[in-house]
Amino acid sequence: MNRTVLIIGIIIVAAIVFVLFAGLGKDPQHIDSPLVGKPAPPFALKAVNTGETIDLESLRGKPVIVNFWATWCVPCYEEHPTLVANARQLPDVQFVGVVFNDTEDKINRFLAERGSAYPTLLDANGKTAIAYGVGGVPETYFINRAGTIVAKYEGPMSTEILQENLAKALR
Amino acid sequence: MTATFGRFLILASVLVSTTGAFIAYAAGAKRSPEGLKWSQRFAYAFAGLMVIATGVMEYALITHDFSVQYVAHVGSTQVPLWVTIVSLWSSLEGSILFWGFILGIYIAATTWVNRNQHQEYMPFAIGTWLSCGAFFSFLIAGPANPFLSVIPAPLEGPGPNPLLQNHLLMIIHPPMLYLGYVGMTIPFGFAAAALLRGRLGQSFLRPLRASLLLPWVFLTIAIMLGGWWAYEVLGWGGYWAWDPVENASLLPWLTATAALHSAIVMERRGVLKGWTVTLIQASFLLTILGTFMTRSGVFNSVHSFTQSAIGPTILIFLTAVLLFSVILLALRIDSLEAEGRIESAVSREGMFLVNNLFFVVFTFTVLVGTVFPLVVEAVKGKQMSVGRPYFDAMVVPVGTALLFLLGVGPALPWGKTSRKEMLRVLLPPLITGAVVLIIGYVLGVRSAWTLVTLLFGGYAAHVTLAQMWLPLRQRLKKGDAFAPALIDAQLRRGRRRFGGYVVHAGAVIVFVAIAVSSTMRTQQEVTLTRGQSTTFAGYTVTFTGTEERTEPHRQSTIAHFNISKPGGPSGGGTSGGGGGGTLITTMEPRMNQYAAMREPIGTPAVYSTIGRDYYLSIMNLQGDQAGILIINMPMVGWIWGAVLLMGAGGLIALIPARKRTYVVVPESAPTIDDEAIA
Amino acid sequence: MIATFFLLALLQVKVPDAAQFVGQPKGVPLSGQQLEEQTMTISHELRCPVCQGLAIGDSPSIMAANMKAQVRELLERGYTEEQILSYFEKSYGQFVLLKPKFQGVNTLVWILPIAVLAIGFVLVVSKAKKLEVAPAVDATPEEPADDPYLAQVRKMVEKP
Repeated sequence: MNRTVLIIGIIIVAAIVFVLFAGLGKDPQHIDSPLVGKPAPPFALKAVNTGETIDLESLRGKPVIVNFWATWCVPCYEEHPTLVANARQLPDVQFVGVVFNDTEDKINRFLAERGSAYPTLLDANGKTAIAYGVGGVPETYFINRAGTIVAKYEGPMSTEILQENLAKALR
Repeated sequence: MTATFGRFLILASVLVSTTGAFIAYAAGAKRSPEGLKWSQRFAYAFAGLMVIATGVMEYALITHDFSVQYVAHVGSTQVPLWVTIVSLWSSLEGSILFWGFILGIYIAATTWVNRNQHQEYMPFAIGTWLSCGAFFSFLIAGPANPFLSVIPAPLEGPGPNPLLQNHLLMIIHPPMLYLGYVGMTIPFGFAAAALLRGRLGQSFLRPLRASLLLPWVFLTIAIMLGGWWAYEVLGWGGYWAWDPVENASLLPWLTATAALHSAIVMERRGVLKGWTVTLIQASFLLTILGTFMTRSGVFNSVHSFTQSAIGPTILIFLTAVLLFSVILLALRIDSLEAEGRIESAVSREGMFLVNNLFFVVFTFTVLVGTVFPLVVEAVKGKQMSVGRPYFDAMVVPVGTALLFLLGVGPALPWGKTSRKEMLRVLLPPLITGAVVLIIGYVLGVRSAWTLVTLLFGGYAAHVTLAQMWLPLRQRLKKGDAFAPALIDAQLRRGRRRFGGYVVHAGAVIVFVAIAVSSTMRTQQEVTLTRGQSTTFAGYTVTFTGTEERTEPHRQSTIAHFNISKPGGPSGGGTSGGGGGGTLITTMEPRMNQYAAMREPIGTPAVYSTIGRDYYLSIMNLQGDQAGILIINMPMVGWIWGAVLLMGAGGLIALIPARKRTYVVVPESAPTIDDEAIA
Repeated sequence: MIATFFLLALLQVKVPDAAQFVGQPKGVPLSGQQLEEQTMTISHELRCPVCQGLAIGDSPSIMAANMKAQVRELLERGYTEEQILSYFEKSYGQFVLLKPKFQGVNTLVWILPIAVLAIGFVLVVSKAKKLEVAPAVDATPEEPADDPYLAQVRKMVEKP
């Protein structure tokens, strides 16, 4: 029995197996946001449906849900009714939509067809999205009354997921 | 009905392979000739079942039998026939069935070729192969069953992944890859047999090496095809992104190449047997790791199938084979070792050792880089990336060292040589290397890495050609005529040697082409309105318009460009009007929006000539404006051709030597019969 | 560019800026060929968050294009490579850096291969020395069926 081979071999096997088992069950697509727990980057953007400029800092004191989306994003179509319904039911929560790489016409047409219950802001060159670490759409950030991001959700949300994350902002 | 029949076949194959494995191992332990015969029968039976099951699946696909779950999953009446046939390996379950199919054929063929030889090893080898077969049959029967029934059967299916229908290369790349991957099981079985038997006899070295070389050829070509496909289809102008699944295919290739080299020392000097066996086992284990990485969903990759139950199952198998290999090695490696010696470390033998060192470092680096993010996340909970900048930085020096060895290694003679002799063989190729370097410099090469590559490459080319020339020169010295001497020396007798040097020649070209195409690459991003031209890298590109095309699975916008020689009324730079001289060709890159995908996928247009590739990719299309990326890449096409040359060299080396007849009558020994000796 | 700024200022629109994350530019503003080359270089060090492992320099996706434009703009304003990478790291996490930072546990990924090379070299040299002094032993005896004379002839005639 060659001890060296055995010991080295077992170490290698253990290392490989440990690493791979640890990797199972994780979703490789999901990225943890480093902004969770940090103050939300401030911005002030023009709302396309109402024409006013919404400043994030002015919303402090209320929990804020910032939803990044675009008209060229297919899953966003599915998510929109959920957001609108929840926005109507939760007047104490400020919903804000941010659209990037899109045109006002397309956004207004979308909102006209599918309804809107909260300001939709235009982030013309996507810089706000970059500052928030947005990769794809839709992505939603939950901000508490003090202006700290408490959660980020990637992908279209259902009402349950929305409520679950909102609870963190209400604490 | 079809589904049921398929399930029956798979269950039968689980039974046959498991029983066969037991019988084979017992036959080996008992050294029973009768047991060996039965092992062979079970091997053929397993193969037969796999072939029929695959046939049944193809039949179901072609007849669009949507009652079979896999067909319902990837089949469609809307796609052309070749897509239907190819969809056998387009999705997870079918691809495992395909794995079993190839494995069955390999096992049957190797068993048949060796049916009357190596009786002391074959039972153990068959036992190991059938154990692997049993695992894959189990996978097919259980977590990855393509033969489940769908009731009621739907009338239509979604068709295979649209990305896979994009290009003809997708037809050959997966089968080649499987032929390479799965083929590594065979030398693994042989190696296990040698370890179980406690010896690795001289006569067994050849089948061991041949069984490694054949899958190596397929794997070499498969990896190149993958890179070529990425280059032609993905639009970013590159062919290797160090994506985890790409790395997974490279790892076994590296260890197999190292094993092929140490096997030469093994045959010549009888040393490094344990090490070669370890490398062969590693090559097989890395293919299982590779298949785990592709199918488990653990890695973020373009190739990833979605996460499924199959991941943990493969991991358990991987753990089992890892332990099997380690324990077997620990128990038996000493009985293989220490049978010879080398005369001097500074010799060809020594160079083989250094070659292996660098291949192992290469393998380790790629492996560490690929799994490191996983480790960090497991241990610290943080996500980080290890991407191309890392791999390029770490791997380029190792590759350059290997190119250096490609020259110096074969130049050095076997055994001990005098200092004078060493200088005699090592210095002249330096001249060729310097010449190549100067030519490169004159042609505009300024990158240090590429210049060094040209120097080493020229050196290695000189040595390779000199070594190829050697047997021919010896014959010409003896007085043979040129042509018959050429054929005899290279193709009839010296095939292994000649084939090896052909591979080396191809490898040198690959190294140089990679260096040149990476460092001499130039690109330009430009936006053109319809009718506008721009001149870049010797061609004038004129945007002539777009065209919409709707196909069942995608919506494409095709942009048309005229490529012409510059030299119209408005020379260089961006110009209005139809600039440029004689029309050379048109290029049609496109943007495809697939129903299933979030982002549009671009297909580039590539115009290849001998010296370089002119590559056009659409960045964005808005109305009459086209934003395009033009890349000029010298020598890219050489990479594909040179790898094919490497494959050809491997095949030449594989052609078995003619059987010879000898009559030997030694003086003092008892008489020996006239016999044909293999 | 200026018109946009003017218009945005008029509307009192403000977008989050790199300055909030990494402070003032520490380097020299770039332009022309140098700007393009540096943009390319840095774009190949940042990972596209939605694609499978591609760099933003290689990815056709919309977010990647935005990020690349941002890189170019920051270079124009004189931010250094380090600052730009730091900015993206602060909003996307270490995930977005394709070249692992040489700090903390990440140093391992850079050091381990070099360590293996060093250890391997030592092992190779010692193995070569061991093989040099090993006594020449007969090769594994063949199976009983093979005659040593036939084996000898075989060795003579078959080329390596």
